[in-house]
Amino acid sequence: MHVMIINGSPRVKKYSNTDKILNKFTEGLAEQGGTYEQYEVSDRKQWDDIREAFRKADNILIAIPLYVENIPGLLLEFLETVTPREGDCDIAYILQGGFAEGAQLRCGEKYLVMLSKHLGCRYKGTLVKGDNFSIRFFEGDMQDRVTGPYKRMGELFAQRGDFDDKECKKFTGPEIFPVHIRILLGVMFKTVGRIMFNKLAKSWGCEKPLNYKPYGT
Amino acid sequence: MVLIVNTTKDTAITERLKELTEQKGIETDIVEAADMNISHCIGCNYCWLKTPGVCSIKDDYEEILKKIIKADDLWVISDTALGFINHKGKNIFDRILPIATMYLKFYRDQMRHVTRYSKSPDIGLIVTGEADMDYLDKWVYRCALNFESTALGAFGKDELEEAVSCM
Repeated sequence: MHVMIINGSPRVKKYSNTDKILNKFTEGLAEQGGTYEQYEVSDRKQWDDIREAFRKADNILIAIPLYVENIPGLLLEFLETVTPREGDCDIAYILQGGFAEGAQLRCGEKYLVMLSKHLGCRYKGTLVKGDNFSIRFFEGDMQDRVTGPYKRMGELFAQRGDFDDKECKKFTGPEIFPVHIRILLGVMFKTVGRIMFNKLAKSWGCEKPLNYKPYGT
Repeated sequence: MVLIVNTTKDTAITERLKELTEQKGIETDIVEAADMNISHCIGCNYCWLKTPGVCSIKDDYEEILKKIIKADDLWVISDTALGFINHKGKNIFDRILPIATMYLKFYRDQMRHVTRYSKSPDIGLIVTGEADMDYLDKWVYRCALNFESTALGAFGKDELEEAVSCM
């Protein structure tokens, strides 16, 4: 199977979490004999090429970071310029986000089913998973721990051509956390979580408290 | 104050909204954003981690962001594409992230970002084209959850009276 992959992140490739996810995913895909070509929506110079590839592809995969409960504005802008297919190709999605629970991504997932129809493609499912915010801040083994599991999903996709599989559904993790975990995480967010984010900000050269209010109270 | 951001060129809508809100004594601030220079969000995270509350993109959105912080309601008027609001409307929402902080908490049963300001506006949507209105209602509800505010609903341009009754 040959897959035309679009990285739908507006973030430049170097800092794109979605790109790091795709690196692992395509590793698995290739190991199972799949081939692919990958494009970045963040690079407007590629838009003509992506439109052309979209016109011809049999299997399309769009990898998307969730932006305000749906797809990012830049990806929307690009897709608005694409000529819809005539039901003659398959489309699947990887939908990822920062918040950890599966429930956070369902509103976006629901739209992808509708989007597939508007793009004139046969919907082949969405691989849904959150808890990916940290990818950008990790390197090496630490990053692999977050992105590594996507390799297996790439293998499965190469074999099946869709995400309509128990293992893919399980990959999402918990829809919401049970109440005792929420209480525990809530305490961590207020304590070590804040210290960690403050540290991160300092390493970025941030000179203000993270709850600074530049425009009001 | 009810902030209305019109990302379409259809100013008949905002004129009608002005009439309807004046009749009811609702204070509005109408921004005609169709020809403004407003970029998409590039996901740099600077508004959370480098320059808290300030977007790294210097364009016409800054003026809108300052108004959003003071508004009771934010109503976005958008054209539609691919069954959803188009990118111009979506960019208004994507660029709102500076009103949240990097810090996390649980709000109801799910993770949220701690909001930056003491209040966040309730959210309403008016669309000029065809879209799945049930989906847009659900989407507006999810948007409002992120700001711990109330969803006021999604309306078509032929439902302006209904929209104003929610302002």
